[in-house]
Amino acid sequence: MSGGTRLENANPVIFQRSGERLLTASEEDEDVHDPIDDREIFDMIRSINDPEHPLSLEELNVVEQVRVKVNDAESTVGVEFTPTIPHCSMATLIGLSIKVKLLRSLPNRFKIDVHITPGTHASEEAVNKQLADKERVAAALENSSLLEVVNQCLSRSI
Amino acid sequence: MAEDSTLVLSLVEEFVSGLQDSKAKDAAKGVKDGQFTILQLVEALGLSLTSSQPQTRARGVQLLSEVLQEIYGELAEREVELLIAFYENRLKDHYVITPPVLQGLRALTKCAALPPGSAVSMLRSLFQDVHVQSLMLAERACVYNMLINLMETRESELKGLGADFVFGFVQSMDGERDPRNLLLAFQIAKNIIHRGYDLGKFTEELFEVTSCYFPIDFTPPSNDPHGITREDLILALRAVLTGTPKFAEFLLPLIIEKLDSDVPSAKLDSLQTLTACVSQYEHKDLAEFLEGLWASLRREVFQTSSEKIESAGLTTLTALTSCLSRSVLTSESEDSLSNFLDLILKDCKHHLCEPDLKLVWPSAKLLQAACSASMRASHIITAAVMPSLVEQYTNRTQCSHRRTLLEVVQRFIQSVTTCQSDSEQSVFSAFREPLCSMVFSALSESNSSLQITATSVLTSLAQQAGLLSDSDIELAVDHMIRLLLTEEDERVSIAVIDCAGALAELHPAVFIAKLIPRLKREMFSEPMDRDNREASELHSHQAVRQRCLSVLAAISSQPSVVQESTPVLLEVLSSAHTGGGLFSVDEVVSACQSLQKIAKQAQDTEETGRCFHDVIIPRLLSLALQAALQDEGASGGRSPLVEEVILSAMVPVISTACSRLQPTLAGQTASRAVSLFLDGDVSFLPDNSFPSHIQLLKKQQGDSWSQSQMVCLLIGCVCSLPRSVEVPQIDRLLSELEDMSYTCSHPLSYTSAAKCFAGLINKRPQGDSFDDLIQRTMKRVFSTLDSNSSSVRIQAFTLMIWVAKALLLRYHPLCTALTDKLFSLLDDSDLGPMAADSFSLLMNDSADVLNRGCHADVRIMYRQRFFSENSAKLVQGFNTAPQEKKSNYLKALSNIVNKLPKQVQVTELPALLSLLLEALSCPDQGVQLSTLSCLEPVLINPPPALIQQLEALVSRLLALITSPAMSVRIASLRCIHALSLFPVHEVLPFRARVLKAMAQPLDDKKRLVRNEAVKARGEWFLLGSPGGR
Amino acid sequence: MKEALSLVQRLSAHPDSRCWFVSWNPNGTLLASCGGDKAIRIWGREGDSWICKSVLQDGHQRTVRKVAWSPCGNYLASASFDATTCIWKKKNDDFESLTVLEGHENEVKCVTWAPSGNLLATCSRDKSVWVWEVDEEDEYECVTVVNSHTQDVKHVVWHPNQELLASASYDNNICIYKEEDDDWECRATLQGHTSTVWSLCFDATGKRMASCSDDRTVKIWKEYPSESGQDLSWKCVCTLSGYHGRTVYDIDWCRLTGALVTACGDDAVRVFKEDETANPDEPVFSLAAQVTKAHNQDVNCVTWNPKEAGLLASCSDDGEIAIWRFQEED
Repeated sequence: MSGGTRLENANPVIFQRSGERLLTASEEDEDVHDPIDDREIFDMIRSINDPEHPLSLEELNVVEQVRVKVNDAESTVGVEFTPTIPHCSMATLIGLSIKVKLLRSLPNRFKIDVHITPGTHASEEAVNKQLADKERVAAALENSSLLEVVNQCLSRSI
Repeated sequence: MAEDSTLVLSLVEEFVSGLQDSKAKDAAKGVKDGQFTILQLVEALGLSLTSSQPQTRARGVQLLSEVLQEIYGELAEREVELLIAFYENRLKDHYVITPPVLQGLRALTKCAALPPGSAVSMLRSLFQDVHVQSLMLAERACVYNMLINLMETRESELKGLGADFVFGFVQSMDGERDPRNLLLAFQIAKNIIHRGYDLGKFTEELFEVTSCYFPIDFTPPSNDPHGITREDLILALRAVLTGTPKFAEFLLPLIIEKLDSDVPSAKLDSLQTLTACVSQYEHKDLAEFLEGLWASLRREVFQTSSEKIESAGLTTLTALTSCLSRSVLTSESEDSLSNFLDLILKDCKHHLCEPDLKLVWPSAKLLQAACSASMRASHIITAAVMPSLVEQYTNRTQCSHRRTLLEVVQRFIQSVTTCQSDSEQSVFSAFREPLCSMVFSALSESNSSLQITATSVLTSLAQQAGLLSDSDIELAVDHMIRLLLTEEDERVSIAVIDCAGALAELHPAVFIAKLIPRLKREMFSEPMDRDNREASELHSHQAVRQRCLSVLAAISSQPSVVQESTPVLLEVLSSAHTGGGLFSVDEVVSACQSLQKIAKQAQDTEETGRCFHDVIIPRLLSLALQAALQDEGASGGRSPLVEEVILSAMVPVISTACSRLQPTLAGQTASRAVSLFLDGDVSFLPDNSFPSHIQLLKKQQGDSWSQSQMVCLLIGCVCSLPRSVEVPQIDRLLSELEDMSYTCSHPLSYTSAAKCFAGLINKRPQGDSFDDLIQRTMKRVFSTLDSNSSSVRIQAFTLMIWVAKALLLRYHPLCTALTDKLFSLLDDSDLGPMAADSFSLLMNDSADVLNRGCHADVRIMYRQRFFSENSAKLVQGFNTAPQEKKSNYLKALSNIVNKLPKQVQVTELPALLSLLLEALSCPDQGVQLSTLSCLEPVLINPPPALIQQLEALVSRLLALITSPAMSVRIASLRCIHALSLFPVHEVLPFRARVLKAMAQPLDDKKRLVRNEAVKARGEWFLLGSPGGR
Repeated sequence: MKEALSLVQRLSAHPDSRCWFVSWNPNGTLLASCGGDKAIRIWGREGDSWICKSVLQDGHQRTVRKVAWSPCGNYLASASFDATTCIWKKKNDDFESLTVLEGHENEVKCVTWAPSGNLLATCSRDKSVWVWEVDEEDEYECVTVVNSHTQDVKHVVWHPNQELLASASYDNNICIYKEEDDDWECRATLQGHTSTVWSLCFDATGKRMASCSDDRTVKIWKEYPSESGQDLSWKCVCTLSGYHGRTVYDIDWCRLTGALVTACGDDAVRVFKEDETANPDEPVFSLAAQVTKAHNQDVNCVTWNPKEAGLLASCSDDGEIAIWRFQEED
């Protein structure tokens, strides 16, 4: 962000980052099948960078593990995210980044739903509908300036 | 004479009309050889110089100038004077003549015989008659070089020109665009400023004519032959702009303006320039700009998205504050430092009271940057912020808030440490009490992050000289004891152990008096009513003991502590030996590890070394011997001290201690150990109730190994001593060790004997007797190996590999015979795989013998040498080997390459690449894995040879991501991840294929594999995509 | 229920990408497909199997969202996210790009030919529906731009025998247009779906229409003579809910058998049959066959072969086309 632009929310609340997932013996055992669980999905998205701040979505509490639901057997993933302020103009972009990160990181058998946490954004329904429309998502990702912003959110996260 | 004049005339004629450039060299030679003088040359030029054709006149002057370039060193003052007059006159001539004139003048500026006043006159003519910026690039360079030359030799004359010189220069460089010329012009400007030329009323002009290039925006063309970088220009310009406080009033507003730029590199340059200039400034230079500068710095740190800019901003703030701190405080002058700090405090302090919001950290960093600038600054700032931090801490109840506050405090303490000298009273003296109660309250919380932060604050406070009182330390030790005994979280115990180590170094007495006795009581307490205790309680009791063992090692840096802590550790071993089962094998091993750590970290080697020599080593040997001699059928079973893990843990204690012994003690250790092992002399051991006929190195009855394996302790005693220490009875010792390595069937015994043999021969002096010894050893080894029916082939192989290592390390020529044998064994049907694995033993550092810590003779780059001497043999062996043996060669190769320094790997890779690629498709998973681990670091900075083989590499790596072995899948995914960082145009063609192939590991059954796949695939998606790479 | 849908063949049509749409030519011998790889492929039967006859590349800069055959079968129109519509002309076995229709502000989502072959309709994310006229010289001229929707228009379709056009939109509504004094006007807005209407189709007679939506339902609409005689009047006479697990992306009404087929985001293809004994004002449809894992990912499109009863093609985000045969039980 350049010096001239004013941030919508210059001094947001910062939350603690969770530590690295602890390695268990069964994870190192070749023969055990580790199901994809909520924490694994959360680990994929928690370090996505916020488009405005040099902070991760986890540090801004935009994503939380309790708002991630995965069902490995039924191949479904649901993620709710919480914009820092109810009028955040970046909500769609953040949702798109989460969706793209999951599309790139999950086996394609998964159905991925990304929503705003109910009651936390003024245009909740409109944003949810956009994120659910795969045709719009596909077209957005063919727009190079939009893709550039999304990639920046994702690239610093790895 | 007439002849000479004919010669010079013909030279002139040929150069001027004949356009033969080489004649200039001939003319110069003529002058040098004394065939004619320079003035005769001028005379001979007469006709061409008066020609009506400007081109002819120019050609004439060019000849003279080219000659001058060759012979300027030989001119007499009178000649120079005439030539200068001549050239000055020519400056007024037609413009086509100017280039050769400037060339000639430049040559003259280099003359040692420059007459007084001529520098000034040359420059006056130059500034008057030449408009520099309408000249071509090379002529402009010529002018700058003249100035530089004259500044070197005629400084006082130039200064006599007064401000006219500066004005002339300003006019000359105004509008310069070429980077090469700019470097020259910046050099002149720098000289003007640094060498005290009078700027007169042209200060602003000089600033303007240079600062218009700031910030430098220059990207060298990709095929730039001059090699001028943007960095060169930045540094050259910075030296000009920051050179004098006279520029302050112009530079500071400029920097404030440029900091507002959207271009990150401009911001960075501005910040670095500001940092550089304030070191030259005084507070009055800064006064009127402080508010503006602060506003810019604050914005950069509050809103930055780049760590680089943030850290440059903080460095600048420190520099600014330290500039203001240099001002001498007088009663009537304004205190500019405290005014400035007030500004910072006004904007930042209140953010410290919002520990959950983003700006708490940028604010803290800014305050700390100012704080670290000087003692005065740190006093002012800590006085302002500490009370409110302490108050916040007391008022806040959430652990995460408290932790943030505590971390902020910690950073303040560290920032002060950088500017505080030891003799001064700590800045924090006034806050000792609230700080201590803050730390102690945090240590009493149940939140582990808070406890961990508190331990590091405690460490920092303790390092503030004279800050903490004895009672503070005692209280701190009480807290540590409580945490060690009760806190389950491993991260907390690690933090407490580190803190204890740091504090014990400064306050050993408290630890001796309180901590050691309390821990000892805990360690040796029988868990009450063991049968009825829950397994989890037993488990936690074991964890407490492990922590006690670690902390005993951590605190033992002072000899006084070592005296108290090591007996406790030794008691663990003897208690295990006498039975009762109080300590598990793991705990005994940990006790040994703690002893080794103490030996390693001892600061006063003499006192601690004596303790190891007098007490610890004899005690360890004695305990091990008692255990070995115990009747196998004894009631209560065998002592745990015969366990291989425990013995192997004792070896490094002894060898670490021995490697640091003073020469006399070391000699004594050697002779005691040798007489114990050769002659059964037990006189130096405590608890001396051993039988009289002990023969540790002889084959035991019924192949019992409890005594023979004791030889591993001998390694510790004799193989790590300094090379100057004489080992007594060395020949007998070596021969018994060699025999033992053949006769034992117990792996630890024969391997240890071989290692001990190798450890000793590595340090033996060169010479015929040494070569004879090796020849004899080799002969026996080879004949055993060649006899396929021999029952001790493995033993012979083990001895061979260790001897080979001992010789390889010291570059002994006989090593080749052994390694050649090793190569031939790759085809051996029994020993082949073992031979392949043994290359890793040759290339790796061994922990207990033959390493530099043991004073072994280890030549530098022995691995590279081994590799370069043998890689061809390996490749050839691979090519001729039968199919089923090929994997042995590949494994050997990957074992070797794996250990080579990256630089060597990169240079050797082209030759080996096809073999390594072959190794990737070798079905042996071990080969795959070690090849992958050797490739991965090389991929980070790929050599061209690798890029040429990209297709093969990608295919083979992709084939491995579905390997049945998890570790292979992970390693291949990491390599694929590394490939994504290759030059984009090289890897882009593979993008679609790689992305498609990596869809599968995203659904791998193992999470660790999926994690790698997610990372790698994410990078490949970014490749060639906007905003990505 | 006996499995009545059997797989004929699976084609890897747009590898490393998604296949958005498939369309049969009027005599059912060729199938055109398009996808995220910016390409169009033409598939034809050779012996027992379907093979790729030609690939139409370089026509579009971005995803090709839909393709449509002209009624004569000699032209192909393609709609793309690059905001253009391409007209391709068949030449022997190959296709050449004839013209590019520009005008939409952004993604063109659908293109369709009127039964006469003289009119073409396109729709876009720019919320508009355009009607183009084609003359004998293959010149295309935009005759109308209608802005009746408040959001992207996802799909347009012509009535089988009248000059009547219907569109489906992200604004949850369906609009029906008629020509009036050389201008096309929206004459009816059908409300009922609670989320994006992705697709719609007429039955063979054109008296009824089926629509499918993100609300996971299918609705059947029937035309009624309106009281005023002027405006069109369509009413929803049946809603199929509970069958689809996710968004229903496409629906097709077989003009030979009257069977309905749907493409769904839950990876399934489903065929519904009408109970012919039911009251025509309250029609009843029941699930006749379904393949729950018809594709590995979302099914984007299904279409009945216009000549061979029971033959149908579907395509999916996994880039594949599947050809199925629906056989009724006796």
